Amino acid sequence: MKVGVDVGGTFTDFLVADDAGEIQVGKVLSTPEDPSIGLLHGLEELARERGQSLRDFASGVSTIVHGTTVTTNVVLTGAGAKTGLLTTEGVRDALEMRRGIREQQYNNRYTNVPPLVARYLRRPVRGRLDYAGREIEPLAVEDVAEAIELLANEKAEAIAICFMNSFANAEHEQRAAEMVRDRLPDTYVSVSTEVLPSIRFYPRVSTTVLNAYVGPVLSRYLDSLTTRLSEIGFCGVLLIMQSNGGVVAPQVARDHAAVTLLSGPAAGPSAGLAFAEQHQIRDCLTVDMGGTSFDAALIRDGQALTITEGQVNRYSLALPMLDIVTIGAGGGSIGWLDEGGLLRVGPRSAGADPGPACYGKGGSEPTVTDADLALRRLDPAFFAGGRMPLDERAAARAIGSKIAEPLGLSVAEAAAGLARVVDANMAAGVREVTIRRGYDPREFPMVVAGGAGPNHACAIATELELPLFIVPRDSSIFCAAGMLMTDLKHDVVKSRIARLGELTREELLAEAEALARRGRATLLEQNIPEERIRIDIEAELRYVRQYHEVALPLLPLDDLEDRFHDEHLRVYGYALAEEKTPLELINLRARAIGVTEKPKLRAESYDGADPSGAAKGERSVWVPEDADFRPLPVFDGHRLRHGHHFRGPAVVEQLNTTLFVSASFDLIVDPLGSFFVYRRGREDSLPESLRRRLP
Amino acid sequence: MIDPILASVFARAFKSITDEMSISLQRTTRSPILCEAKDFVTGLYDADGRMLEQTENLPILSFSLAPVCKHIREYFGDDIHDGDVVFHNDVFSLGNQLNDVAVYKPIFHDGVLVGWSAAKGHQADIGGAVQGGYNPEATEVWQEGLRIPPVKVVERGKLRRDVWDLIFANIRLDIVREDMKAEMGACVVGARRLVALIDKYGRETFEQVKQHLFDSTKQLMEAEIRTIPAGTYRGQATVYFDGKNTGSTYQIRVEITVEDGRIKFDYSATDPQTPGFVNGTYTSSASATILTFLQMVNPDIPHNEGMVEPIEIVIPEGTILNAAYPAATTFGNHLCPPNADAIIRALAPVIPERVTAGWNQLLCALTTGIDPRKGDKFVDIGFMGLKGGSGAMRGTDGYDHIGMIDASGGVLDQDYEMFEQQTPHRLVKHEYLVDSAGPGQWRGGLGVETRFLIGSDETTVVTFGDGDVEPAFGLAGGGTGSLNKIELVLPDGRRRKLTSKDLVRGVPKQTLYVQHAGGGGGYGDPRRRPLAKIREEVQNGIISRGSAIKHYGRSEDDLAGETEQS
Repeated sequence: MKVGVDVGGTFTDFLVADDAGEIQVGKVLSTPEDPSIGLLHGLEELARERGQSLRDFASGVSTIVHGTTVTTNVVLTGAGAKTGLLTTEGVRDALEMRRGIREQQYNNRYTNVPPLVARYLRRPVRGRLDYAGREIEPLAVEDVAEAIELLANEKAEAIAICFMNSFANAEHEQRAAEMVRDRLPDTYVSVSTEVLPSIRFYPRVSTTVLNAYVGPVLSRYLDSLTTRLSEIGFCGVLLIMQSNGGVVAPQVARDHAAVTLLSGPAAGPSAGLAFAEQHQIRDCLTVDMGGTSFDAALIRDGQALTITEGQVNRYSLALPMLDIVTIGAGGGSIGWLDEGGLLRVGPRSAGADPGPACYGKGGSEPTVTDADLALRRLDPAFFAGGRMPLDERAAARAIGSKIAEPLGLSVAEAAAGLARVVDANMAAGVREVTIRRGYDPREFPMVVAGGAGPNHACAIATELELPLFIVPRDSSIFCAAGMLMTDLKHDVVKSRIARLGELTREELLAEAEALARRGRATLLEQNIPEERIRIDIEAELRYVRQYHEVALPLLPLDDLEDRFHDEHLRVYGYALAEEKTPLELINLRARAIGVTEKPKLRAESYDGADPSGAAKGERSVWVPEDADFRPLPVFDGHRLRHGHHFRGPAVVEQLNTTLFVSASFDLIVDPLGSFFVYRRGREDSLPESLRRRLP
Repeated sequence: MIDPILASVFARAFKSITDEMSISLQRTTRSPILCEAKDFVTGLYDADGRMLEQTENLPILSFSLAPVCKHIREYFGDDIHDGDVVFHNDVFSLGNQLNDVAVYKPIFHDGVLVGWSAAKGHQADIGGAVQGGYNPEATEVWQEGLRIPPVKVVERGKLRRDVWDLIFANIRLDIVREDMKAEMGACVVGARRLVALIDKYGRETFEQVKQHLFDSTKQLMEAEIRTIPAGTYRGQATVYFDGKNTGSTYQIRVEITVEDGRIKFDYSATDPQTPGFVNGTYTSSASATILTFLQMVNPDIPHNEGMVEPIEIVIPEGTILNAAYPAATTFGNHLCPPNADAIIRALAPVIPERVTAGWNQLLCALTTGIDPRKGDKFVDIGFMGLKGGSGAMRGTDGYDHIGMIDASGGVLDQDYEMFEQQTPHRLVKHEYLVDSAGPGQWRGGLGVETRFLIGSDETTVVTFGDGDVEPAFGLAGGGTGSLNKIELVLPDGRRRKLTSKDLVRGVPKQTLYVQHAGGGGGYGDPRRRPLAKIREEVQNGIISRGSAIKHYGRSEDDLAGETEQS
């Protein structure tokens, strides 16, 4: 039995999958001060539902995969460790300067983010390597010793070490790290050549410092969690979700804490893929619309795209992470008029408290959820399965006073407008992960998740002209499900700067092999058997004098150059093959993957096309194609079965989410109970297995 | 009646189109000036050249795109076809600087001209007497580089090889060719997206919504202007040294009239043009005026034609801000800082809560030569060295190491390790400059000190800028920031202080380059700055004990227990 646990800002979601493919779902409130409390509480609930004691339940669990926003929150709230930095004399302010950017150019009240290490704790050390890693000046051990004493007196809990050009030669950093570890064995040490040995000083020092800043906090949390879990009799494997979409054992996560910094939405793509792959769909979009944010990702050939230039709270984070675009659009996003009278939505959110006006908890600003309610896409009596009645009048009041009246619209028109603006924002988010990378979104089915996602999916699909989207039955706990679909992943990188023609085949392969060995060793430490290890190696190449690289699989070496020209042409619209411009290698990257055992999803047998057994009644709902209300059939999603089919417009209600099927779309249920919603006339976009079930 | 919702959808779409163009340009260019420092802009215009949206890493470039678009439209008249691509850089037809080469692509929908996409970037070379473009010895435009009035390099989809070869036969560096291809690529991206948008909603809707966006933005701007008390206000600032006559000064004088939702900037009383290259073009100067004013209004105003409509700018030809043909003008973009000072001084008494104290003025150096490691030519603009502090304002300290007001933090430092890969130089120091910030209840932004060892013999060092005579001014009792300085320490130990417009050839390897970019001006009485902040800044070594005592009126007792960390 495996358990996926996704600790979010508001809710902690659970998915239990037993060996027979039976699924159990749970949702409890999160406990941000110590998330392991909420986690334990959720396990208790799950055990109770199964009629088991907590101990019996826990001892039967073989694996817990855990996604956590602990480190993200530490950065956002400035609650990390007191951190010191040893760095090359002359460049200690790079961390704070952030290359001199002010993100809001016209806003003179916009201030810099406070540095994660105060200036007096950023200690300069003499010793210098040149651009190729050759020593110009030896490391001044007396400077290192002096800095260590100062940081010890200051009671620094973590020390980061990052020297100029260390990507090409780690010796000075290693020597300094040894001195720190000898003198301060209990201090968390983060060394740039261990965290991110690649060229570019600012992203490297920033990432190394982020790692130090969150390391002690994550270590404490993991200690507390593993203790609690062993107290209740859990003796299986605990795995932690990383930003790269893979998982990692706690002991590795402790040393590389920064790999968890953007892990919150990172399980989404794996989950989406699992539901799509049932139909041999290997390319898809995944979107997740929760309370405050909307995450979109693109999967190509069964892999989510990965980037290495990210940010957390305006600090550069250059570790591989899934290319997930997050925008401030969710159920709680607030609609407002700017001074020119244009309607905007978000990024401000009403959050869980006071929440949308319709929650009746004192919120007076109109949110997306209020608009959905005013459009009757939500049933006020059946929100959260009826546990939380919504106040329709409060929603209408908020929309009326803040939007409808100033614009001279009816409340319904204003609500429809609010929905349309947020839909356009989300569509823009999807464009960013597709068009920006040179892909046409219309070629991809979209897997939709999150409490608010299914309600808006038709509108996003309309805006982007997508023919098909898929709503998994348990879409509201999507990430928890995704965690059970992930493998162990460990990324290692090495900068190797050389013109491609100047390196021999043997040199290149030897470098790659050395990297592969490092990745493999990390997996072996986590008890992954050799036969479950796979190593992928990529080369980051560019035309000579370009500054940005294109990543390609290193092998086969023979056509590496041709593959580079092709990829450059595809992404940027031109190649310089004819000009014979030389290629330059910048980095080699290895990804070591430890393949895990995935739970099986259980298929239902075909139940005919007639959905009437799931019919729940009728209610009047706003239909965008009519720009008016119309009485629509309402279905109970939990009773829809494999093969059931109906034409839109209609509404599908489930415990934690409502799916709105607009007038131009129809719906059919697949063997896993996922809803396939397609544009009428685009039946060709359905997988063959469903197309033949169409009535 | 316009659907206000559709208007929001279009506004968002225009923004994402210009952003995508910008990403494409940044990721494919080769000159570090473009891909590392982001010294380029992209924009989308309607058929008549009116701005729909633009990206503004360097606003001084952005606000010239629409005027030039209108000029190109007139220049070619009916002779504009689907598949054309036009180059332009000419300073006497509304360009910024010869190195700022723009690409314009007309966008057609069903055979009808519906708009233009444009990109403009600072190219690493444009011919002329000095590699890299800055030539303080120039007195005429031809000594500065190649003039490109509107010219079609692609006609109806076919590259005009003869025109292409003519242009690049006059430019030193090969990478310029590829970087111009990248600008063209960005325009293709923009054109595709606009056509897709119009395909979806129809041309008529596009035209109506566009007009609605212009109108609503104009109203927004007029409302902002109405919050400034009506009246006429005057300000002035000094430009030091024209590159020819030591000790020379010129006055920029602006008269600002606010009335009925409109604002007029009149520079008629400004001094005549200089004999050298310290001269503005109309476009650079007007862009400078707009971007300075935009910092005094709501930063959320959408950027389209409606935003600039209520702003009127009068700059007579023959003045230092609008030099007459055939003057040298390469320095023109860099008259933005003193122009901004004049505007701030004029409006500070009227809207004291919305202006900053003086910003550090630009002083920059460009190094060129042959990298001995590979024998390649290199051109480096010292972005990291030029970025001083911004002025403080009531309630907010200045921004540290932000750089000239014409970019306001939109252009970036070179990454240190990439700098050592791409130039033969070795970085010795790039850190905040102690005591550079103008003291105040809110202090100015900190400047920086940059030191590097020059790594090639026969290196040429060109400086351009100001701020080495008069520091950034304080407001409401705040003090001035520190001065700019560039100095070379030759291998034999001799020091050579450079002027603000200098050209030094034959600088030997192992020369130490030393630059101070000064801090911004402070706002309010420094004695009212909270002690806790001063103690923290003393501890962090960005204010010295001496300064805390002298400028902030603190005693040794106040500072007891703080060790100054150098």
